[in-house]
Amino acid sequence: MVFSSIIFLFLFLPAVLTLYYCSPRRIRNLILLLTSLFFYAWGEPVYIVIMLVSTVTDYYFGLLLDKPGLSPVKRKCVVALSIVVNLTLLSYFKYADFIIENVNGLFGTHIPLTELPLPIGISFYTFQSMSYIIDVYRGTVKAQRNWIDFGAYVSLFPQLVAGPIVQYNTIAHQLNNRSESIELFAEGIRRFTIGLSKKVLLANNIGLLWDIISSSQPESLPMFTAWLGIIAFAFQIYFDFSGYSDMAIGLGLMFGFRFNENFNKPYSSQSITDFWRRWHISLGSWFREYVYIPLGGNRNGLLKQSRNILIVWLLTGFWHGASWNFILWGMYFGVILMFEKWWGLKLLAALPRWVRHAYAIVLILIGWVLFAFETPTLIVGYLSAMAGFNNQPLWNAETGYFVYTNAVLLVVLVIASLPKKQAFKANKLSLYHLVWYGFIFLLSVAYLVDATFNPFLYFRF
Amino acid sequence: MKKNAERLLVVFFVGTLFLLSLLFFFLPHLRFSELENRFLQRPPKMTLENVLSSNYATEAESYVTDHFPFRDQWLWIKSVSEQARLQQENNGIYKGKDEYLFEKFLQPDYHKLQRYIEGVNTFGDNHTDVDITFMLAPTSVGLYPERLPWLAPSYSQEDVSEFVSNYLDNDITYMDGFDFLSPHASESIYYRTDHHWSTYGAYLAYVAYIEKKGWQPLSQDDFIIKEVSNSFLGSYHTRSQFHGLSPDMIEAYLPIEQVATEIFIADTNETLSSMYDESFLGKKDQYAYFLGGVHALMTIKSDLDKLDIKQDKLLIIKDSYAHNVIPFLTNHIPEIHVIDIRYYNGSIGEYMSDNGLKDVLYIFNISTFVEDASLLKLNN
Repeated sequence: MVFSSIIFLFLFLPAVLTLYYCSPRRIRNLILLLTSLFFYAWGEPVYIVIMLVSTVTDYYFGLLLDKPGLSPVKRKCVVALSIVVNLTLLSYFKYADFIIENVNGLFGTHIPLTELPLPIGISFYTFQSMSYIIDVYRGTVKAQRNWIDFGAYVSLFPQLVAGPIVQYNTIAHQLNNRSESIELFAEGIRRFTIGLSKKVLLANNIGLLWDIISSSQPESLPMFTAWLGIIAFAFQIYFDFSGYSDMAIGLGLMFGFRFNENFNKPYSSQSITDFWRRWHISLGSWFREYVYIPLGGNRNGLLKQSRNILIVWLLTGFWHGASWNFILWGMYFGVILMFEKWWGLKLLAALPRWVRHAYAIVLILIGWVLFAFETPTLIVGYLSAMAGFNNQPLWNAETGYFVYTNAVLLVVLVIASLPKKQAFKANKLSLYHLVWYGFIFLLSVAYLVDATFNPFLYFRF
Repeated sequence: MKKNAERLLVVFFVGTLFLLSLLFFFLPHLRFSELENRFLQRPPKMTLENVLSSNYATEAESYVTDHFPFRDQWLWIKSVSEQARLQQENNGIYKGKDEYLFEKFLQPDYHKLQRYIEGVNTFGDNHTDVDITFMLAPTSVGLYPERLPWLAPSYSQEDVSEFVSNYLDNDITYMDGFDFLSPHASESIYYRTDHHWSTYGAYLAYVAYIEKKGWQPLSQDDFIIKEVSNSFLGSYHTRSQFHGLSPDMIEAYLPIEQVATEIFIADTNETLSSMYDESFLGKKDQYAYFLGGVHALMTIKSDLDKLDIKQDKLLIIKDSYAHNVIPFLTNHIPEIHVIDIRYYNGSIGEYMSDNGLKDVLYIFNISTFVEDASLLKLNN
């Protein structure tokens, strides 16, 4: 089930809200656990077992780590074992075929592929479980003794399938000490509605444009169409994913949880370093917390730091999918970040603001080409089209058609990507806001009822 | 004061969710959507296998979406909003000039197209004693590209037609729809809201075919041309849900010298005496007025004067473009067999020898022909 579906909005959500708010406080986590398991089983009736295995083992590993008198060596073993279990599950289901294909290709072997579908959300919940075990090991949080509370943390349906990746330390307290209120609930509705409309009205519609452009032969694309296409993709992936995060955060608020933000206007970035502080923040923080800093971070000189950056971005790329283009995409950003750390940022600081912005946007867009196409031929073909190396005119009639039929949408997308001036920020709820939220909610429902095109990009991860 | 606005938001939001949810459960669920001209999702069956394969979940989601309260009105809202943002298409249908709707036609896959044509050629090679005519009609977008929205991309159907003409064996007579339609392009050859040609367009096809045969077609004066409907909003409207269009008119060409016909529909084992089913004029898909819509196999016998008969039998292999052409042909050929190859799964070769058929007419429109692989069944 996805949030942007009629069945979720009008059957699942009312049912969960009723159950939750009619129950006494002490069983509310149990309600969340049960409804979350139902939510997950709806989409993955078989693979739910994998999630349960990951959850149950980490629950017991957590208890084990909390035992007084456990020797440091044994503690290390426990945490290592937990990481091995989670990474094995993740590797087996996500990376096995990729590894087999490459081994077969390199050594001419014929190992059969597993051809297993990727269990929904596995990249997200394994990372959450690991954060919990590592935090308990480090002593930054206490182990969760109550299996219901722990189960509710891992499986919490708002963030289960596509994040944000909630680190245990940010939510441990809220599990038992949160207070739902009208204010939080209203704020949740606003966030959810914004997220829903980002996904349904913005991402899906601009996605149609990207679909048409990306399926044409790159050799025949005029330069402007190629740029328009990748801009469309950039908008689609941002509004798709940040819309999902908004919906998750909004739903969390409805049940009294406050998750951390996952996006902060990434397309207003002034550098790639800046971009990665604003894009998929929860993944960035996870890698920072559990890989970059343990590797030494920026403490041992520029050379070691560069190595650490490359490792983290290699992993970040690979996390996004079992395919070389994602690794390339990660390394691409790793190299740019390294260059910015050495002297790039200083150089940028001397340039006018709009140049910095243009620099960041162009590099981000080139990055999306690496992200969007799986084969080197398509990547090179598309980049040549963007550079105008394919002997095509700058634009043609079709370019014009794409522009004017999407002009209104593109203007909305640009406005929605820009940071809002403080004065326009919606702090107080006015009648104007009520009408606005009602309008975009109903419009989103209309698009959902007619949904022939409603994929979630981040379901692949 | 501040809290009041928030209370209001919560009440509105939660209220909307519950209200629509309750209406979903208590309003009656239709089986068929007239507006969309399709059967809606049936309630999913709760079996272990269905649940484990996620089929149950998928069907349940379509079920709820299909039977969501006020579905037609929601579709209307989406369509209005798409037009308001200058989008010229909805679900693959362009809103063209002069109230014409067009199906988006992009470059076809020529490799596939070549295979379909080879299928037709092979069939000809296997039946050298059979006289074969292949009629390929453009759809409205092929004939009226100038009525497309400004700058809208569209592939030339003339190029497709030329490609077919080049690849088709010479012993098959090729009838290019552009040849007999283009001279009359300024008249109403097509429905504006449907993917078919009008009865007038079908009449032109009939004239062209009969003249090709060397016979004398009936002139328009030989018919009483009757308007049977003025409320036809066809398949393009169904798919796009564009609103504010004036409906099409459907005409029937009734010969002044009436010929008694007997139609046998093999699918249902029914025998009818009229080629027109008026019950469809009250439904969404009014084009099914002609021959009662799609049937896999039917035979039409007409009681002609022995002296007028130049040919006894004809086999038509077709898509629905043939439906309004066939009534014209009954004025010349007393026994017409009609196979819709998309739904007919028997051997056509056997059927022909069983029924002594020596003359075949294909009638297809370019849009079906390039996308429908069913012609590959021809040589089964």
